[in-house]
Amino acid sequence: MGNFRNRNFLHNLEKEYGSIKELSNKIVSGDIRTLSRCITLSESSREDHQFFSRKVLEKVLPMTGNSLRIGISGPPGVGKSTFIETFGTFLIEKGRRIAVLAVDPSSSKSGGSILGDKTRMERLAQSENAFIRPSPAGKTLGGVSRHTREALLLCEASGYDTIIVETVGVGQSEATVSNMIDIFLLLISPGSGDELQGIKRGIVELADLIIVNKADGSLKSEAENIAREYNSAVKLLRPTINNWNTRVVTCSALENIGIEEIWSITEEYIQNFDNEKNISSHRKEQFQKWLREEITQNLNKQIYSEKKINDLIELYEEKVLIGEVLPSAAAYEIVKKFLKK
Amino acid sequence: MVRNSSIERKIMSGISKKLFEEWREIAQKELKGKDLENHFWITPEEIRVKPLYTKDDLNGLNDQLENLPGLDPFLRGPRATMYTNKPWTIRQYAGFSTAEESNEFYKQCLENGQTGLSVAFDLATHRGYDSDHPRVSGDVGKAGVAIDTVEDMKILFNKIPLDKMSVSMTMNGAVLPVLAGYIVAAEEQGVSKEYLSGTIQNDILKEFMVRNTYIYPPKESMRIVSDIISFTSKNMPLYNSISISGYHMQEAGSTLTQELAYTLADGIEYVRAALDAGLKVDDFAPRLSFFFCTGMNFFMEVAKLRAARFIWAKLMKQFNPSDPRSLSLRTHCQTSGVSLTSQDPHNNIIRTAYEAFAAVLGGTQSLHTNAFDEALALPSELSSRIARNTQLILLEETGVKEVIDPLAGSYYVENLTKEFIDKTLLLIQEVEQMGGMTVAVSEGFTKFKIEESAAKRQARVDKNEEVIVGVNKYINENLNEEIDLLVVDNKKVISKQIQKLKKIKSERDNNQVNLAIENLKKGAESNYNLLSLSIEAIRARATIGEISKVLEDVFSRHKAISKSITGVYGSAFSEDTSFNEAQKKVTNFAKKEGRQPRILVAKLGQDGHDRGAKIIATAFADIGFDVDIGPLFATPEETSKQALENDVHVVGISSQAAGHKTLVPELIESLKENGGEKIMVVVGGIVPPGDIEDLKKAGVSAIFGPGTPITDSANQVIDMLLKKNLSS
Repeated sequence: MGNFRNRNFLHNLEKEYGSIKELSNKIVSGDIRTLSRCITLSESSREDHQFFSRKVLEKVLPMTGNSLRIGISGPPGVGKSTFIETFGTFLIEKGRRIAVLAVDPSSSKSGGSILGDKTRMERLAQSENAFIRPSPAGKTLGGVSRHTREALLLCEASGYDTIIVETVGVGQSEATVSNMIDIFLLLISPGSGDELQGIKRGIVELADLIIVNKADGSLKSEAENIAREYNSAVKLLRPTINNWNTRVVTCSALENIGIEEIWSITEEYIQNFDNEKNISSHRKEQFQKWLREEITQNLNKQIYSEKKINDLIELYEEKVLIGEVLPSAAAYEIVKKFLKK
Repeated sequence: MVRNSSIERKIMSGISKKLFEEWREIAQKELKGKDLENHFWITPEEIRVKPLYTKDDLNGLNDQLENLPGLDPFLRGPRATMYTNKPWTIRQYAGFSTAEESNEFYKQCLENGQTGLSVAFDLATHRGYDSDHPRVSGDVGKAGVAIDTVEDMKILFNKIPLDKMSVSMTMNGAVLPVLAGYIVAAEEQGVSKEYLSGTIQNDILKEFMVRNTYIYPPKESMRIVSDIISFTSKNMPLYNSISISGYHMQEAGSTLTQELAYTLADGIEYVRAALDAGLKVDDFAPRLSFFFCTGMNFFMEVAKLRAARFIWAKLMKQFNPSDPRSLSLRTHCQTSGVSLTSQDPHNNIIRTAYEAFAAVLGGTQSLHTNAFDEALALPSELSSRIARNTQLILLEETGVKEVIDPLAGSYYVENLTKEFIDKTLLLIQEVEQMGGMTVAVSEGFTKFKIEESAAKRQARVDKNEEVIVGVNKYINENLNEEIDLLVVDNKKVISKQIQKLKKIKSERDNNQVNLAIENLKKGAESNYNLLSLSIEAIRARATIGEISKVLEDVFSRHKAISKSITGVYGSAFSEDTSFNEAQKKVTNFAKKEGRQPRILVAKLGQDGHDRGAKIIATAFADIGFDVDIGPLFATPEETSKQALENDVHVVGISSQAAGHKTLVPELIESLKENGGEKIMVVVGGIVPPGDIEDLKKAGVSAIFGPGTPITDSANQVIDMLLKKNLSS
């Protein structure tokens, strides 16, 4: 846990990274280096780093909240990166500034990972108006949620008016992500066999807009067929939320077809959202959820990191296994003990 | 009992069982307890090589044994007389700096026994950029000669009679303006195109697989290939319209069977493209040529060339040619570049000599021998002479040219040839079942397979399972030899090229140029032959860059999607101490720093050789680094931006083509300017000793030459990071 127990840790970190005030000023002025280092701090597993980055974030919090937050997900190979490249470039031409936060799950046994995303967003990566940050998902549960939320806020403070959060649509991270963005785009593609099976139902339920990518060349008609299938399927899968029915469109990110339409649906969605239910109140709800999530995670972490409690758990575990105590009763005793300490 | 049952025949024709048992007994004794049954060598091709081959191993090989050179299926050679009548062409690949300097060098080589030319172009030219383009500042004149217009071409071949000299040109991306430039240069020398002999590489499929010097997407690129085949088959009867190349696959780490299989499958794909374009098979098939790598696996290389001819003849029959020459595979060979080491570099002379010997025993039509200093820099005058003489001595002093296919009938070589044929056919079948090579390439299948083999090979070397003398065994610790290396002053070349470009642009008739360019555009949009339109444009003095640009406007510039693998390298290392050591240090670092060490593995400039970068990425990830991979063809500023945004600890630059001297200091400068002064920069690849000092002065923390075990470089990097961390 690094130097957290050292009382001078804040002082040391300020010496290494710059003062909290300096950092927050630099972030607001759009300094990329500072932004990227602060994201690193908030992603760090060291508690002193996390604490420090929260201090910076609190300072810039008034400058956040001014962006359009877009979640993009889809199974591997669907063309997410190519889509973000095309879509992002389109938005930059419209005068927007884009930050892309890509969560990469490819962590290997060793803890290392390959983050190759930018090679597929070459043009966007070169643009002055784009900031792309791939992050390893890491091992800690709940890590994605906090890191990405904080990174998102930091990017907003730095003046990016469109934040894209990219995840691979295979895990539970989508539900978490959907709780920090305004609109959720789900990408799917033809040519992968049993289409509806390929994606978890739960993810389809989250989607505000489903995009069938790769509608070009020989896959074009297949893409259109899938779009039709999905169109009828979403009516069953997803209820109308805030007077919005999930739409299904086709596009070709490779040939830059259908991007304009996706943008206009996005605008329409936001407009409608704002009419039905103010976006800022929606975000307040997201913050409430975030708070509760953090409490749970925090408690969890504390319980499991205390040696006495761990010993106690082991003790009860044995009793549970021989049938002496019910798991629920054991849990009650353990938590009681923890709270009394 | 039927007398000629197969078992009977085997016993009758083979050696007696009794004799074999006697041998086995003695051999088992000599092995002192080791099991003879397990005394095999499993090659990377997964061929099980036995310690002893006997007459029995020729059983069932009649297909192969009853062959003669010059006759279908050409296993023993494409010509009936082979070297007994005409020796192989001594063709040294060369080119550097300006056309003036390269021309001087060529003339000298020809005076000293070289018999054919082979032009190396710089990376700017390969990728269709003129020397004044901002993206190529580090590459001009470096890994080959800088060519911008036909005037450069004329200088390049000044006083070299193109009607007599066969010229091979390694060009795939900017193949149209370069071939057009050669044709027009000859024309203005007074040589009409029907007298031109030589080869254009024109093999775009392998570029997408391994070498990455493409410009346009696969489909458009394939159209260019068939335009060239169709033009040359009508107008240039002595010219090889394509050189289907496996060389770069082996260099990228493929096994020899992969090299052969994917090359032949490429060949089939080109034949189909030409047929689709309306040509008849016999009009172009005799002018298809091949290009293979010859590495250190001596007998396997001989077997490869024999198998190559056999399989090609077999494959080509599906197109029903009536000209037997359509079935015969002719090839150029080059000794292996990756087999060269920067450690104890004079050893490379010996390696190259054995490789050359294997290529000749395999029956190559022409040969390039590498210079011993090529793991350090471009060849110098001395090293080029030694390389050339390696062939001259082989040709003149050993008697190897007096007998055709001298290893035919060898129990081992014939059996190996058979095994090779079988394994290769399986690999070809796999590709064909996917729908052919264009599909396999587009899906990244073959690239992936090759990278997998490369990672496995690297692990074998790093674990000392594969010995490289002077690198992982018999290391000469006190080695401190001075070697004179060729240094190209890249800034001087650029300024000279810019001068020439300005002059040409001011003297030419711009209306004529614009018209020719406009025609080319229309031609690209419809289906006119692009080579003949390029010839018009070149004649009007349009530049290589202008022609490539207008085609890019129509076709777009291809962007590669890179796939990476994890686990292959690491899984070979469960008990290796230096690997585990690195892993432990990484864990330690992560604990202290709150995250894994993060490295950006990047390529700078137009150098597309990404084997090294890929292997490093895979291995470092397996060790526990978070690895970002940079796009190909990046500028220093783009790489710096990525390093800053991703907040990496280290940038690792992989350099194979000499651009580092200009580009790496620019990268460090850009990092500093943007607050990234703490980001460490290391360089790996081919770095001449003379550059090391300069790079270190510019701020590079470490330089890893070819042959550095990855675990060593990882350990060094993590040590430096830990140290830096403690002191900060």
